[in-house]
Amino acid sequence: MASSIAISQVRPVNPALRFLKIVPGVLLLAAVGYAGKLLEANVGKYAKAHHWTFPNIEYVLWAILLGLVISNTVGVPEIFRAGVATYEFWLKAGIVLLGARFLLGDVLKLGGTSLALVGIEITLAIAFMTFLGRLFGLKPKLTSLLAVGSAVCGVSAIIATQGAIEADEEDSSFAIAAILALGALSLFTFPLIGHALHLTDHAYGVWSGLAVDNTAEAAAAGALYSDAAGKLAVLTKTTRNALIGFVVLAYAFYWASRGQAQAVGNKAKFLWQKFPKFVLGFLIISTLATATFFSKEQIGALANLSRWAFLLTFAGVGLRTNFKALSKQGLKPFAVGAIGEVVIAGFTLGLVLAAQRIFGW
Amino acid sequence: MSEQGQVIAGPVKQRGFSIDAWAVLLAFVLAALVRAGVFKHIPW
Repeated sequence: MASSIAISQVRPVNPALRFLKIVPGVLLLAAVGYAGKLLEANVGKYAKAHHWTFPNIEYVLWAILLGLVISNTVGVPEIFRAGVATYEFWLKAGIVLLGARFLLGDVLKLGGTSLALVGIEITLAIAFMTFLGRLFGLKPKLTSLLAVGSAVCGVSAIIATQGAIEADEEDSSFAIAAILALGALSLFTFPLIGHALHLTDHAYGVWSGLAVDNTAEAAAAGALYSDAAGKLAVLTKTTRNALIGFVVLAYAFYWASRGQAQAVGNKAKFLWQKFPKFVLGFLIISTLATATFFSKEQIGALANLSRWAFLLTFAGVGLRTNFKALSKQGLKPFAVGAIGEVVIAGFTLGLVLAAQRIFGW
Repeated sequence: MSEQGQVIAGPVKQRGFSIDAWAVLLAFVLAALVRAGVFKHIPW
């Protein structure tokens, strides 16, 4: 197990050395992402010139596919790994910059609707995953980690909860692997379901943000459908992320009350520590854009910077996914995760379809 | 991941800024540069 998912530790190393160490991997992210863009622009043209029928594949999917091919064939060499692992950094920077494309009023309106849906999703996901974990006889703390991972925000939530409830690293690895494997599957299934049901960009984006657990995969699943769906997927997922502290705090209380974790001292400090700061960054940029601090051209430039940051993220999603490694993580946690995710995806789809009718999305 | 060990994690106490804070800082710096006209046009 220890060999399957290594949880990297942050070591106190020279900042200049740490920076140099990530350069090759970041260049690889950029190369894979840019190759995705080139393929999107040229494959369609080539197919058309040769009178072939070929679906229009977006750069998002090309970048993910290229990453997956590299990761699952030759593998990612050691020299690139530190830089590839920065994909989450680019994701968060991209989300903050994306704030320029939202007026604050829209954020509050959409965020308010999303918040209600997110509340229902979190409650259902935690209840159902807890039930499934007990049914399959999983260790209680592993069940808690899977419940948090599927209810709130994937890997970040699992890591935050692991520390708060003092769960084993092995349990954390199982839960992370299950969430990542299912996130990878959602990239291919969600757009197909969305198109089959003729979901609007709005409905599909909200659904992706509600049902896909890891933020990078939620953003990618949304962008695979359309640019507008990608924006809404990120906004809905960000609303989910904002609630991470409350859910982790509830679990910390639960396990502390059973004498299996340390009691939480200062609750406000705990919530602030767990609160994803990029959500604040997103709101600040959105407020500035609403106050016309940026001109129209500048908002366009910020939107494009956000797209470049997401491009690195999507390349990273493919490059860090290794199916062989994920398959070694144990069948039971994966089965619980898979059954739970399918049920949650079905339930949230129902919620979104109902909201679509009520709000006329 | 696995052999590649790429799930970044670790309940290890981090010194200085978190990844979130660095990402926000970078985004703000880029936004300030765009606002100041250093980057006039970003192609896509």
